Amino acid sequence: MSPPMRPRVEQVLVVGRDAAVWLSALALHKALARTGVKVRVVEMPSLLTPADVYSAVPSLGALHSLLGLEEAAVLEATRGLPVLGQRFANWSKSKAPFVHGYDTHRITLNDIDFLQFWVKARGEGMKVELDDFSLAVAAAKQGKSAVSRDGDRAELPLSSGYHLDARAYVDLLRRTALQAGIEGRGADVGSVQRDGDRIVSVTLTDGMTVQADLFIDASGPAAVLASGAPDAPFESWRQWFSADRILVAEAPRLKPLPAFSQIAAFPAGWVGLYPLKDRTALVAVYDSRTMSDQAVLDALPVLTGLPLTGEAAVEDFHPGARPPWTGNCIAIGPAAVSLEPLDAIQLHLIHTGLSNLIALFPAEAEALPEAEAYNRAMASHLANIRDFLITHYALNKRFDEPVWDRARDMMLPEKLQARLRVFAARGRVPLYDDESFQQQNWAQILIGHGLIPASYDPMVDTVPVEEQMGKVRGLLSRIAEEVQLMPVLDTEFGAG
Amino acid sequence: MERPDRVRDIVIVGGGTAGWMTAAAFSKVAGTQSLNITLIESDEIGIVGVGEATIPPILLFNKLLGIDENEFIRETQATFKLGIQFVDWGRLGHTYMHPFGLFGADMNGVNFSHYWLRSVAEGGDPDNHHFVAEAEAMRLNRFARTPPGGADGMPRINYAFQFDASLYAAWLRKYAEKRGVVRREGKIISANRDGETGLIRSVTLSDGREVAGDFFIDCSGFRGLLIEQEMQAGYDDWTQWLPANRAVAVPCERVENPVPYTRSTAHESGWQWRIPLQHRTGNGYVFSDAFISEDQATADLLSRLDGAPQAEPRVLRFVTGRRRKGWIGNVAAIGLSSGFLEPLESTSIHLIQTAISKLLALFPHARRDDAMADQFNREMDQQYEGVRDFIIAHYKVSTRDDTPFWRHCRDMPVPDSLAAKLELFRARGEVMVENHELFRETNWFPILYGQGLMPEGYHPLADVLSDDDLRLRLSQIRAAIKARVDGLPSHDAYLRQCVAAATNRFGTLGARP
Repeated sequence: MSPPMRPRVEQVLVVGRDAAVWLSALALHKALARTGVKVRVVEMPSLLTPADVYSAVPSLGALHSLLGLEEAAVLEATRGLPVLGQRFANWSKSKAPFVHGYDTHRITLNDIDFLQFWVKARGEGMKVELDDFSLAVAAAKQGKSAVSRDGDRAELPLSSGYHLDARAYVDLLRRTALQAGIEGRGADVGSVQRDGDRIVSVTLTDGMTVQADLFIDASGPAAVLASGAPDAPFESWRQWFSADRILVAEAPRLKPLPAFSQIAAFPAGWVGLYPLKDRTALVAVYDSRTMSDQAVLDALPVLTGLPLTGEAAVEDFHPGARPPWTGNCIAIGPAAVSLEPLDAIQLHLIHTGLSNLIALFPAEAEALPEAEAYNRAMASHLANIRDFLITHYALNKRFDEPVWDRARDMMLPEKLQARLRVFAARGRVPLYDDESFQQQNWAQILIGHGLIPASYDPMVDTVPVEEQMGKVRGLLSRIAEEVQLMPVLDTEFGAG
Repeated sequence: MERPDRVRDIVIVGGGTAGWMTAAAFSKVAGTQSLNITLIESDEIGIVGVGEATIPPILLFNKLLGIDENEFIRETQATFKLGIQFVDWGRLGHTYMHPFGLFGADMNGVNFSHYWLRSVAEGGDPDNHHFVAEAEAMRLNRFARTPPGGADGMPRINYAFQFDASLYAAWLRKYAEKRGVVRREGKIISANRDGETGLIRSVTLSDGREVAGDFFIDCSGFRGLLIEQEMQAGYDDWTQWLPANRAVAVPCERVENPVPYTRSTAHESGWQWRIPLQHRTGNGYVFSDAFISEDQATADLLSRLDGAPQAEPRVLRFVTGRRRKGWIGNVAAIGLSSGFLEPLESTSIHLIQTAISKLLALFPHARRDDAMADQFNREMDQQYEGVRDFIIAHYKVSTRDDTPFWRHCRDMPVPDSLAAKLELFRARGEVMVENHELFRETNWFPILYGQGLMPEGYHPLADVLSDDDLRLRLSQIRAAIKARVDGLPSHDAYLRQCVAAATNRFGTLGARP
């Protein structure tokens, strides 16, 4: 007694551009080709300029290994660098910069979060900053690398994020996909044929019409397939993010290479400085009503301390999201969600969309009850990531600047309010479902931006003070030893 | 600098399972050096021996207290529990199990359930129990603890306990008192509140004595002496989804060696539990008085015992639901004072344990800390709602329609959160479980499938294996399960061995009274 076999999804058409289109095609092909799913690509004209950079959180490494991409080869091909965190500068006018380091573990003493001991000790006058207890931060500050030129890495509780030249990365992905046998066609989308909420086929500007069972929209903010779907409105997040422009530019390479990105606030927004092997990518995200594009471009050398080389490019930006899965079309990456590249989450958003899609890949081609579960899961993932980004703005201490004053005063999403309140009271970060950033990530940025908990876990007092002191000293010396043994980023990747 | 409103004195209101579990955990984790812990209970007020059956996380609680498991088994007349057997639930004459174990094996990608559904669609073995070691051990009445890790290639055995809750409370009382918890005998007649802050300052006992405290933990049971009668938390009634509002309970004589599982048998207007202990068998009928009278339910229960009753049947009345706030001001509710869910999935003690660990993690310095209270309430709400949905699913998914009670369950609407789960399961055997949920895919699958919900499809990735490879993999899994279960002694023999091996570690801390 077997249930009747219904038609399976056999043809997947991925329409889009840049990293989103090729990551989607590769990931779906890798996961599903064995089941008979055929993935084809329509690659639309690139929006990237030579100045563009992809900055990525460490999870990209996991995606690469899924796709069969070797870390060393990726870094080589993209003139990229592994980095250990992001340094936030000028988010407060009075406080020193801090680094959000990519530690993979939460430090505990007697099963109590180390942060709790720090809060207590700080209250008693200890001057050591929290990030001094982070291996990733210590290593980042000393220009170290978790990975050698050959891709070897030591077993340490930290991981690396990435800076990748965007065009070189897309070229690498395209080559890899074509080698894997994925059919690609360069064209733009002319028209979309729909039947209710389903897409039947896509007609390209070269006159060809392509049918498929499932369509992936990886076309970027234009969302050429998804934006035409009925009942899938774009929800604006403008109330939390006032920046409406992204400007990219280039500067000479830094010597020695820093092991982190620098994210510096300025009156109209922030500017990111992303070291690559042969150049430094600059990305400014700002409110154009406060500073014009030209004014930002003119200010960049001052803000970054670097001369500009090459061409700069600017694009409009509107933060928000739409329900990613409607009918038989799933929007991936910037077609589904627009978030500014703060916290290096652009590629992570693509990755999250794909891993959820693979987990919920349709059991059959017609009913698609998976859409609701997928949209629910993605909404939950995105809200958590969005809230992490909002946190930087909400906690800024740049007084008497309209952009920043408004950011401090804005009404926060309810879950974020609760998160901040519990942290402010007790130094505990409530984690929700579908978190990308973990306890240690949240704690680092919250403390870094100056949200110091008013009290600590009373259980701290059950650990004798002598024992606490001993363990704290042990922790600091272990970090010092481990950092000592790590290779120097500039030595590994900076030569030549 | 010492805060003037720092919490020093904790008063636990009510003994019983919730009160003594709380006292034991606080005395162990927070210690009685910096905190004074007082527990007030009255010998006059009977203990409602809730949830004699438990689920595997109870092992964590025992570990937290650092107690010897064999001693615990001896002291509480415990038996091991591998899961629950459901009789007549999916349909009359049908039996299935909810084992505590992994379904199949880790398949390095999509869940085993998808591969198994494919195999069933292709004519393979439709009995899911053959692919869970605990279910096979239940069938054969076997049990032993297995080493962690599974380096031997065989599945490990997950388990919980069935025990006498009043013996457990009495035993934890000794534990807590040895660690400095002070027990005050007495019945509370009133609470005294600070006129300005509204916080509870003290409670007055019937003999006129007053017990002051900075923080009160309400373990007073259904009535919620402080959380409801004083703080007026309010109550969300969930009867529209879980119509049972009565239980009649009676212990009976042991007539056979105890089996390593709880049995739940669906009846005309509810269900009956059977919990085998070392010295007796616990029984109860959970029902709705809208469908059957208390007298009739009691008579039905007595006629369906497998041994002679050992006490007068006791009727408990409850309203299924959740206190709107479990922590208000300086009062936190733990146990039945915080809500009631029928013991269908043995979650009462687990919900106590969860509240204790959350309260410990969020414990306030000051008498009042609303941020901590809000967080506690949010997290506990999620716990309760997750368990609630899981229990509702048993009733909703059944194909029984032979009595008004079951037709009511068939026709009732369910919470949206559950409806979405059921729809996806029907389509592809998938259960989207959120991180905070207690019951995972490995729990939902046997229940929904056992109740008669056959998924129509499965994840396409399960088609990757060739037919031969799939058959081979399934037979390897069955062989590993068989090797594991064949190597287990009978539950009874193992249990006797555990009791004999019990140490008196507890006793080494001081003389046993």
